[in-house]
Amino acid sequence: MNARSGTVGAAVILVLLAAAPLLSPLIHLDVSIVTEVLVTALAVMSVNLLLGYTGLPAFGNAAYFGLGAYGAGLSVKYFHVDFVAAVVIGTLAALAGGLLLAPFLLRRRGIYFGLLSIAFGQVFYFVAYRYTDVTGGEDGMNFPRPPVGLGHVSINETAFYYVALAVFIACVFAFRSVVRSPFGWTLIAIRQNEVRVRYLGLNTDRFIFVALLISSTMAGLGGALFSLLINFAYPLELDWHQSGFFVLMMILGGAGTVWGSLVGAFIYVIGKDIISTITPLWQIVLGALFVACVLGFPRGIVGTIGALRAARTGAPDDDASAAFDANAPVEVGRGV
Amino acid sequence: MIEHLAPQLFNGLVLGAFYAIVALGLSLIMNLTGTINMAHGSFMTLAGYLAYTLVQRGVPFWFVLIAAPVITVLVGVFVERGLVRPLYKREPFYSLLMTFGLSLIAEEIFRLIWGSNGVPFSPPAALAGAASLGFMSFPIFRIFIAAVLIVAIVALALFLTRTRFGLRLRAAVQDTEMIAALGTNTQVLYAVNFGLGIFLAGIAGVLAAGMLGLSPTSGNALLMPAFVTVIIGGMGSLFGSIVGGMLIGIAISMTTLFIPAASEVSMYVLMAIVLLVRPRGLFGEEGIFG
Repeated sequence: MNARSGTVGAAVILVLLAAAPLLSPLIHLDVSIVTEVLVTALAVMSVNLLLGYTGLPAFGNAAYFGLGAYGAGLSVKYFHVDFVAAVVIGTLAALAGGLLLAPFLLRRRGIYFGLLSIAFGQVFYFVAYRYTDVTGGEDGMNFPRPPVGLGHVSINETAFYYVALAVFIACVFAFRSVVRSPFGWTLIAIRQNEVRVRYLGLNTDRFIFVALLISSTMAGLGGALFSLLINFAYPLELDWHQSGFFVLMMILGGAGTVWGSLVGAFIYVIGKDIISTITPLWQIVLGALFVACVLGFPRGIVGTIGALRAARTGAPDDDASAAFDANAPVEVGRGV
Repeated sequence: MIEHLAPQLFNGLVLGAFYAIVALGLSLIMNLTGTINMAHGSFMTLAGYLAYTLVQRGVPFWFVLIAAPVITVLVGVFVERGLVRPLYKREPFYSLLMTFGLSLIAEEIFRLIWGSNGVPFSPPAALAGAASLGFMSFPIFRIFIAAVLIVAIVALALFLTRTRFGLRLRAAVQDTEMIAALGTNTQVLYAVNFGLGIFLAGIAGVLAAGMLGLSPTSGNALLMPAFVTVIIGGMGSLFGSIVGGMLIGIAISMTTLFIPAASEVSMYVLMAIVLLVRPRGLFGEEGIFG
């Protein structure tokens, strides 16, 4: 996307989002579904930073999402903290999870990283699943939505939407400035050729470490808001299936693009809401979506738009997704 | 104590053999093509349901034990040629996503055909009952399972080390381009290798159905321990998968005895400890998968 049309696109999205509570009744959508899109998009962005930009198959980000959800939920349920504190505690819980796992994940790349992130992510799932006395185990746990601050201002669905929107916009622009900074360019360079980046004298482990922490924090923020939205936390939020869905949303919207995460989350969350009421076979539709995206649509919606625009105007396509050339040969066998 | 400990230890070893054989199949596929097969559990479940249906129709169990995995292999090779093969030249996480999608589809299909609640699948009468081992008695079917899994693992080892094809397979893991340049058809190699991995999953699936139950998600329950097995054993090492599987089986069974709630978590703790001491796993070699 070149700068000007990208800005126009972003402005249109932001206006639509700001008006969403007014628009959603027109298409018979509950505003809380759109809120769910926003908080899910945060988790998808967190995957995008690692996989879309840095090229690390992050298949464990549901763990951070779930840590955020449980961190917020447990702190409300047992310590009756207010809304802001719950979000902060959930986010910090996810950051702590990231700090805990990063040393294990940091030293591996490629599918080894993928395996480790799946396996380590699953630890938290089993803790939540088995620690029934505290977490409610398989059934999950309910908790009331906390008020804001000492003034006991309660939050209705519309107010919650705007809270989520404010957080989302702050995160999108933070994300955008991260991926368009020298730090972000380094991450993209690591995806393209890590050895070369090392030869340039950069400690790639350090960059990946910071990316992991940013990613886990962002996923945790999304998870904390999600659990406060539905007043519920459940183990499947932490499961590797959920990690896979985040990756799917990333591919669907556009890996290595700033707005792709939102587009992917929007299609997935709204699609699931609509399709699962029409047919009980939602899971088959979902699986088919995986297969179709991987085989036929690897650059995703935003990535494809960027590519088409670049082809039409001759301007360089400066999305990281440009490097996401699905047909680039990868050496198969040893060291993949 | 011994009367509790010994059967539980034996249980752990049987469980470990399951993890090992599932992990071996995963490793075969992973080592050659870099594909993390998320549908591996689905193939196990498929073999289990096929066995159930065949036994329902009156086919003898001994025949089913081979027939169900073979049919599963045919499905597997069909999937590999049609859906996984186009992804070999792309970044490996695409095939992970693809097989993940397939596992979702498979789970729903199992529900449609065989129902959501699982079906009872019991071993034949000849394998029912318990054998007395002097100091303890133990279900005959589990002894049988251990024997079959050991035979399968030994057969695989012989195949990989004693046949020309097995040699080519191992050479291809080292250097696919060179083996292709020397005149081996790598596409055949990929297909056979995938089939081999699925065959192991199939055998495990039929036996697991009899021991651990059969439901649309029963195969997936073995998938995560198998991943951990691969990591503990070391990626690229088949021997590591066998050792890793046994270690996890013992860890889980012993934890179940003393702290039941921590049974699953124990394998992750084991994994973390192993990785702290040996970052590449117990038998992982430098240079394989970074």
